[in-house]
Amino acid sequence: MKFGNLVIAGIVTGSIYAMFAVCVAVWYRVSNILNLAVGDFAMVGALSVDNLYRVKGLPLPVAIITTLVVVAAFAYLYDQVVLRLAQDGKRPIEGIVVTFFFTFALSFFIDGVAKMLFGSDVHAAPALWNGTSLTLGSLNFTRAGILVLACAVIIGGAFWLYIRFTLGGKALEASGENSVGARIVGIDTRQYRRLIFIATAVIAAVFGIVESPITGYTYLSGATISLTGFIAAAYGGFRKPGRALLAGLFIGVLEALLGGYVSTQYGDTVMYAILAALILAWPRGLGFESAVSG
Amino acid sequence: MNGLLTASSRATAWATALSSSPAARRAPRGSAPTAVVLVAGALIVLAYGQQYTGSVFVLSACYAIVTAGMAVQIGFSQQIAFSQSVFFGVGAYGVAMLNTHLNMSVLLATVVMMVGAALVALLLGSVVTRASGLALAVATLMLPLIAVGYVSASGYLGGAVGAPLTGTLWPSSASSTAVATVGGGLIVVVLLALVVFIAARILNSDIGLELFVLGVDERTAAALGVRTPRRKLELFVLGSVFAALGGAVYAGTQQFVPETVVDPTAELALLIMLFIGGRRSVIGAVIGALVIQYLQGASNWVSVNILVVEGLLLTVVLLVDPEGLAGIVSSGLARLRGKAAATAAGEAGDTQPEVAAAAADISLSGVLAGNDPTVHRDGGPRNATLLDVRGIHKEYGGLRVLDDVSLTLPERGLFALCGPNGAGKSTLLNVIGGSVPPSAGQILLNSTDITKRPPNERFYQGISRTFQAVHLIKGRTVLDNVAVACLASHTASIVTGIGRSRLEAARAKAARTLADLGMAHLADREVSSLTLEAQRMVELARALAPNPRLLLLDEPASGLSEEQRQRLAALLTTLAERTCVLLVEHDLALVAQVSERIFVLSGGKLVFDGGPADFRSSPVVNSLLVGS
Repeated sequence: MKFGNLVIAGIVTGSIYAMFAVCVAVWYRVSNILNLAVGDFAMVGALSVDNLYRVKGLPLPVAIITTLVVVAAFAYLYDQVVLRLAQDGKRPIEGIVVTFFFTFALSFFIDGVAKMLFGSDVHAAPALWNGTSLTLGSLNFTRAGILVLACAVIIGGAFWLYIRFTLGGKALEASGENSVGARIVGIDTRQYRRLIFIATAVIAAVFGIVESPITGYTYLSGATISLTGFIAAAYGGFRKPGRALLAGLFIGVLEALLGGYVSTQYGDTVMYAILAALILAWPRGLGFESAVSG
Repeated sequence: MNGLLTASSRATAWATALSSSPAARRAPRGSAPTAVVLVAGALIVLAYGQQYTGSVFVLSACYAIVTAGMAVQIGFSQQIAFSQSVFFGVGAYGVAMLNTHLNMSVLLATVVMMVGAALVALLLGSVVTRASGLALAVATLMLPLIAVGYVSASGYLGGAVGAPLTGTLWPSSASSTAVATVGGGLIVVVLLALVVFIAARILNSDIGLELFVLGVDERTAAALGVRTPRRKLELFVLGSVFAALGGAVYAGTQQFVPETVVDPTAELALLIMLFIGGRRSVIGAVIGALVIQYLQGASNWVSVNILVVEGLLLTVVLLVDPEGLAGIVSSGLARLRGKAAATAAGEAGDTQPEVAAAAADISLSGVLAGNDPTVHRDGGPRNATLLDVRGIHKEYGGLRVLDDVSLTLPERGLFALCGPNGAGKSTLLNVIGGSVPPSAGQILLNSTDITKRPPNERFYQGISRTFQAVHLIKGRTVLDNVAVACLASHTASIVTGIGRSRLEAARAKAARTLADLGMAHLADREVSSLTLEAQRMVELARALAPNPRLLLLDEPASGLSEEQRQRLAALLTTLAERTCVLLVEHDLALVAQVSERIFVLSGGKLVFDGGPADFRSSPVVNSLLVGS
């Protein structure tokens, strides 16, 4: 049952990639900015809960809530100070490349602050659901993995329901399709930019807290998480959360299978080569052209 | 023999270009930044070479070699490829391996690795540069990820431990450590100056203008004759070779190659240097590398918390000016100069009229006379066929946009293409211009089949066009926007941009066209500061400047006032006496007023073909366009 267990492990990591890809894609739709800092919010979530709980001795629920509030407040502040100056001024900074570098700078900043506050060792938030792996036949389910999947289904589902069935979701879609047009019909696109930025930061932090017991984080872990989410989002043309989600799951399963069957050493190398080849073979089919012109 | 002849004639051409052109009599292109880098760098190495400051400086110079290449490839030409750290690694590890295993001197190994990197880049680039924009960025993003996996797992390259070198960059093994350190530093500075020289000269040449257009809009570049696939490949190779050179001298001066040089974070660090310094400026890129390495090397709070400092610095610099430190400095200088000029000018207000007043009496004498003596029209009969469109079909998925469209146009005259929205007018124009391939049918220009030829080749054969939405090159002057269409550099390789520049010739030709259109006073204005009419006129000037045989105009009157339309109509009528103009237009009055023959498309079919009199009385036209 090696295959089955590899697929399960792949789906667990894939669902994390998928969630980060969805976060990148949804925010790109409303803001036209690619967020490379999303993984850093996950890292901060995990390390901050660990620090507050283990070092400062706060009760776990208090540590988690404090962390999420701080992350949300920081995201709000960043939007109010930096994004407002960059995007809403007299001379809005355009061009996907330059705006991308703002989130890039944000990622560096968060990593640096995390290093100051939490040091450079590997830590993880405490496991929320202790115990040995659950087994079903010869399939193994780690409890942390089940939690991750549950969070992905709940949060992903809520996102989907929000976009699909509420007026806010429709407005959000509209600001993604055509920002100027959305503004003309009275949608405050800036408000959605801020709302989704804060929401994705908090969601990322939640995933960091839930996932960190599996892998453990250092202050530099955020970039790797963002990168995989970013790549998965790329396969959805950066604009299609649904496709980004599927791409994230696909990458997770591919990674697990290559690691299990091809080589533990070169598995990732082969995976990235496959991903690069896919883009070069079908740039149009994967939605890159529309992402560039749009 | 032939080869020798062309080589020698090319050498004389270079010599004359360098000695007699007016540009050469001023300070040669690229000499100022090169001199600054060379002199300042050499002084710093000589003064501090053996101290810690000197070693930090030499390290930053190694990175500056890479970022200078990135300024050309990523900043100026906007070909975002995350491949620098990989080629940095190729250079560094290559030199380390050649030095330790084959006992090759570091300097020779550097040359070998540059050639090797060029070949690898050529191979890899011919695959990845087929992608554009984000696809290129994401595809090349995989390269550092692949490289780091390979390096850390391979025992041969030293894995996570790294690879040491026995030799130094300074070639003489007998010299003392002090001489070897300072000498190695000087070699790095000389190489950096050389790289800055090459990069600055390319950016300031006619090819530099091509690259800028390519960066702003690949499709417009192709329509203006730029061979985009080739330029993209050349840029990839150039960036990769400079990165490999940076890596090679890094290995030679540090005498150790750690695994981290190919880490994705190394790529990010290089990008931070480029964007803090100024992405489009070579000297800015060098300064960016210096600033970041200096901050990292300063053994205090800053270097401990370098990530916070870099994040804040990058945010603040980009907020002030997206063009980085170089942009801040140059706009500061411009403001000072502007203040000085304003005080000098006194009360002489600069209420320069836009194109309106000047264009009212466009003489067009020059344009009419065919002011370019190098272009000889064979003066064939007016009715000889120039363009022959035969049975063009175009389908998108299952949607039929063009259905068996055939038409012919003679050498001279004004022709209009009308039809309701979605009739396929712009698609037909794109098919003739070459940016959209037809599903079936043929396009013949002077009886030559050009159906399969790319847009840039059609441009050389005399097809010139404007776009429905204005496609001007923002950030450049009106003169440069027109000069883009007068470049003679399309067949030259990017390397020739180092030797010569025919930019001044192109600008001179552009200036003549602007003067003929009565727009000379706008030449130095940045295009996005112009009114819509002026922008459309600039686009028209750009299409006219290369003396096209076939001029395709996509709704040149849209957004213009009635008065402006009348000026345009007068201009078009005069143009039609020496060239063939095909006009897509919604304004039926304008169409009937100026064109000698009118084609009407509806649902992808040609439903009317006749003169303006028939056009006015045709029931088909009336029901379709006027709405009976």
